[in-house]
Amino acid sequence: MSVALKRTFQNELTLNEVVTQYPDIPRLVIIKTDVQRRGIHYTERALSVVDPEIHLVNDPAISELFGSRDGVEKPLPASLLLRDGTSILVSSTPLEENPYLVDLVDGRLALVDNGEFIEHVEFWRKPRFYDLKTSSGVPMRQIFSARPQRLSIVQSSYCHFWTDHKGCRFCDINNNNKKRNEDAKARPRIKPQDISETIREALKEPGRFTGICLTGGSVLAGNGLFDKEVDLYIETLQAIGENFATKKFPSQLISSAFNEKQLKRLYDETGLMSYTSDLEVLNEDKFNWICPGKADNVGYQEWKQRLIRSVDIFGKGHVATGIVGGVELAKPYGFISEDEALRSTLDEAESLAENGVTTIFVVWSPRPGSDFHEQQNASLDYYVRLASGLHQLRVKYGLTVDFDDYRRCGNHPDSDLARLI
Amino acid sequence: MAIQLSSELQVLLNDRKVYKALATVDEAGIPDVVLKHSIFTAEDGNIHYLELLESSRTNHNLVRAIWFDGTVSIAVTGPDKQRFQIKGRPVEVHITGPLFEKHYVEVRQSLGDVELSGVWVIEPLEVIDENISFRRKEEDVNRPYFRHLDRLAKTPHK
Ligand code: SF4
Repeated sequence: MSVALKRTFQNELTLNEVVTQYPDIPRLVIIKTDVQRRGIHYTERALSVVDPEIHLVNDPAISELFGSRDGVEKPLPASLLLRDGTSILVSSTPLEENPYLVDLVDGRLALVDNGEFIEHVEFWRKPRFYDLKTSSGVPMRQIFSARPQRLSIVQSSYCHFWTDHKGCRFCDINNNNKKRNEDAKARPRIKPQDISETIREALKEPGRFTGICLTGGSVLAGNGLFDKEVDLYIETLQAIGENFATKKFPSQLISSAFNEKQLKRLYDETGLMSYTSDLEVLNEDKFNWICPGKADNVGYQEWKQRLIRSVDIFGKGHVATGIVGGVELAKPYGFISEDEALRSTLDEAESLAENGVTTIFVVWSPRPGSDFHEQQNASLDYYVRLASGLHQLRVKYGLTVDFDDYRRCGNHPDSDLARLI
Repeated sequence: MAIQLSSELQVLLNDRKVYKALATVDEAGIPDVVLKHSIFTAEDGNIHYLELLESSRTNHNLVRAIWFDGTVSIAVTGPDKQRFQIKGRPVEVHITGPLFEKHYVEVRQSLGDVELSGVWVIEPLEVIDENISFRRKEEDVNRPYFRHLDRLAKTPHK
């Protein structure tokens, strides 16, 4: 198979060099990070062992927020699991971008790079509720999607910031949504009873899930900004909560930056245990450029203050902000050097950590449906230093991130390291 | 290199009445030893350990071991004065999937409302027979200076 590579990584440290350079960071987490950075391509041999009866495979009918890196919706394995329990959330990537291969080695699935065996991996497994329908006939897999230990519900796969052409520049949500709806027909609004029934069924599988994540695009409607979004989440959380004997249940909401009244309602009226609101990029100028909708409607400083105030409601160790690691280096207005970007990001993350807000990152993977589709993400060295820096801040300020760790999420190299906290 | 456990040792490991101690080390090299029932052998020759607590020191140390190529020790003592120590390496942890679910169900049936964090897979690297009479004979043969002279006297003192 010969392909003209658009990206060769020749001027960057290799995986093995980075592993040697950072002996305090586990090789398995560095591998995960690099696989997320470069993406994957499944060989025919690897695909020959996919069994849709056992494995989780992508389904256009399941409302994932974001699209794949190759822009193609195919029934491919959802993601991968390493032998230490670390998940690798990654999507299929064009071969010319030089991704890792997922292949068979000695009859087992493995990551391979340039013919070199890297690590064995496994496909995620399908939960039993995926084969069932609610009493109103909706396939349960369309209500909640699953990771190895997490249930996720996407409240709205439309983000209202896009209406004014002010969606975040790295994001493909609405383009992905449009495409999926063409592929899989528009998804009707999810009814609370369907939500409740799906959770009830999911809980019948012993030991399968440890957390529930709610997220969606920003909804600007309502009497006050985001009031409608809050109402929707409360309705969903209450429907989920019907199935638990305790008022609170391990859960994470990733949503817009709500005001204190809205946050209080969420905390008091539901079983929600943690709150995450993504600043996406920890620098006011870059935020204004990269996230114009967030900047116009809330503003960087107010977004930060809302996060800090939410610690009074949810408590230290229960509030986070997410960033898209590497997007602060986007061209033409991003940081020029990785050193400067890292220093600035960690300084700002520290100002949040001092106030009880922890910062987590995802590895930026430029997607075809986003403004930044032709850009490149950062070096592996950068991502390892970012993961280590954010982890060190958690250690310094005594912050846990149990609601968004390797098991309850699996998408953040920095919170993978929190297994030792 | 992984080794094969003897059938005597496998029987001991799989006997729930037999005490097993699991020793791990923390970041500073400080040992942590805990008595465990939930250690047994698997069909592939590896050892499985059920960790109930995600936040336990043992679990942290096992995570550190799988990440940084560390080892652990398991001491086993049997009813007939058998004493073994197994050195091993954590190579995998099941936090989901059929093996995890099987043990999650079983452990809750036997212990009540408990958690299961993971099923650790430990590859045995070395077995040391720690039975004292066996070890003394071995030392007498291999290290003949390591003995007090009164033990060799013609007329032993009482
Ligand atoms: S807020 Fe930004 S990142 Fe989130 S869905 Fe809207 S455009 Fe995408």
